[in-house]
Amino acid sequence: MSQLDILLVLLRVAVGAFVPLCFIAVLVWLERRGAAFFQDRAGPNRANIFGFRAAGLVQNAADGIKLIFKEDVIPGHSAHKFYFVLAPLIVFFCALVSFAVVPFADTLVLEGKQYIMQGIPMDLGILWFLAITGFAVYGIILAGWSSHNKYGVLGALRASAQVISYEIPMGLALVSLLVVYGTINLNEIVHFQGKLLFGFIPMWGVVLQPLAAVIFIVSAFAETNRTPFDLAEGESELVAGFHVEYSAMKFALFFMGEYVAMFVSSSIIITLFFGGYQIPWLSTETLVAYAKPVSMLLMGLVPVAAALFCGWMMKNNKSHYDRPNDPRVREAKVYRIIIWMMVVVVEAVLVGYLLYAAGGAADRILVVLLQIVTFLVKTFMMCFVYVWVRWTLPRFRYDQLQLLGWKMLLPLALLNIFITSAVVVALS
Amino acid sequence: MSVTVKIMERKGSSFLEKIYLFEIFKGMRVTLGHLWRNLCDNSRLYVRHYPEVKPEITPRWRGRHRLTTHEDGTVKCVACFMCQTNCPAKCIMIEAGERMDGKSEKVPVRFDIDLLECIYCGYCVEACPMDAIRMDTGIFSVTSYDRESVFVGIDELLATKGAFDEEEYKKGGA
Repeated sequence: MSQLDILLVLLRVAVGAFVPLCFIAVLVWLERRGAAFFQDRAGPNRANIFGFRAAGLVQNAADGIKLIFKEDVIPGHSAHKFYFVLAPLIVFFCALVSFAVVPFADTLVLEGKQYIMQGIPMDLGILWFLAITGFAVYGIILAGWSSHNKYGVLGALRASAQVISYEIPMGLALVSLLVVYGTINLNEIVHFQGKLLFGFIPMWGVVLQPLAAVIFIVSAFAETNRTPFDLAEGESELVAGFHVEYSAMKFALFFMGEYVAMFVSSSIIITLFFGGYQIPWLSTETLVAYAKPVSMLLMGLVPVAAALFCGWMMKNNKSHYDRPNDPRVREAKVYRIIIWMMVVVVEAVLVGYLLYAAGGAADRILVVLLQIVTFLVKTFMMCFVYVWVRWTLPRFRYDQLQLLGWKMLLPLALLNIFITSAVVVALS
Repeated sequence: MSVTVKIMERKGSSFLEKIYLFEIFKGMRVTLGHLWRNLCDNSRLYVRHYPEVKPEITPRWRGRHRLTTHEDGTVKCVACFMCQTNCPAKCIMIEAGERMDGKSEKVPVRFDIDLLECIYCGYCVEACPMDAIRMDTGIFSVTSYDRESVFVGIDELLATKGAFDEEEYKKGGA
């Protein structure tokens, strides 16, 4: 292996492991501030370090530190202490590992070698995701059972029944999708979506398979135990469900596992239905061919975006009551300086690229970076949809949940397979 | 006399409503509207920035207690034990002594209220025949780092002033 090989392996493992971890902080923040704004509240906006609140992100650090130093209780009545400790590990590990097959950029070609941009380079693709997320429910069952607590067991029971029922429509929705794509390799699936339908509509999964998209997204919500399907932890009936006996970092692992699972299922939804890392109308080849104009366009857009953001921030980042020498205004001024420094750095890099490195390998690296950004932005938007749905819809009743899974989604998925295969056979 | 019957329209039976998705999107549009409004201008949040901006307290609010005084500054309380007897939380502890200034026979030498026990029901105020104890200080937040400082004695109760003028307080029905 050359040094370049090792570097790229490290890079892709780092992205595969750390992006979900970083997204935990972002998603917890998004959930809390988003929930607050949906409900006309302010959300966590006080925790600060020297007056810098980072829009409330500091609160996450404070909560994390609190959870680390809390007492770690293992209930004395539990007869299965090993499984009790193992359960949160399984949940978190499965959530994290299932991201490994999601391609976050197109295959990078450097010096005639191909580097696949996903955590683990393998062809299992979507099957890996199905297998691992199905495995995550073992963690929940183990947690509920080893807690030796009726609420825990009930929560675990609900979670397992729910995941098993919703994996069927999810898998069937995937079948019709795979009939269209003709592959299970996620990178090839994203390539397929880079094409254009009738020459002007991006051939995204959601355009080709709207019904499968709806079924898959609904099932994905159920798989991640998110509202409106979070019966496993329905606090009004089950206190906290399967994690009722957990405290400190073991609870935090469940909590973070939920957000990692949310991030991963968002990224899978993006990859399958919304074009993955593809920028609409700009496939990888087009981007590489027009790398120069694209980077010039970026040079124009970045300052405009920064100016808009700064304007919005200066307007909103202030105290809404009488306060001499408002520290929030000072804070916003510091942020503005940081943002413009970042803009200068980006511009310098782009200028350097245009002057010295344009053409050749740098084009491809630029395109990969662009695609990673696109992928993250799309995933973030899908995660926002998760939060948005959570703070809009009430929880399902348990029988309604099973009714929806078995009597609505399952027949619809079957019908969808039938229609899709008929169309595919007729067209081929 | 006939009973007026209003028949409510049952929602949720039309085909579009049964598909459920469109109704979900309608609901999501509403919540997104709130998010967008607050994101564009967060001064429109329906919140009070509490520790800095205090809520308005009405004269009828039962806040922390105080003991009232006569015009000349002497204590009104005659140590009749009405409030202590009436207190459902048993948080008032009075010790009576002889009064020397001729205003009455007795005077409290000790008048302690354990604010951790107090349930702020206001029965002491209603029981008092002399209008000597009131809960009109407007103090709504009794917090402390130690228990001793929320165990208030007669000096502190006398030192605290009412937050409202006499007329406003009387209007409150006391």
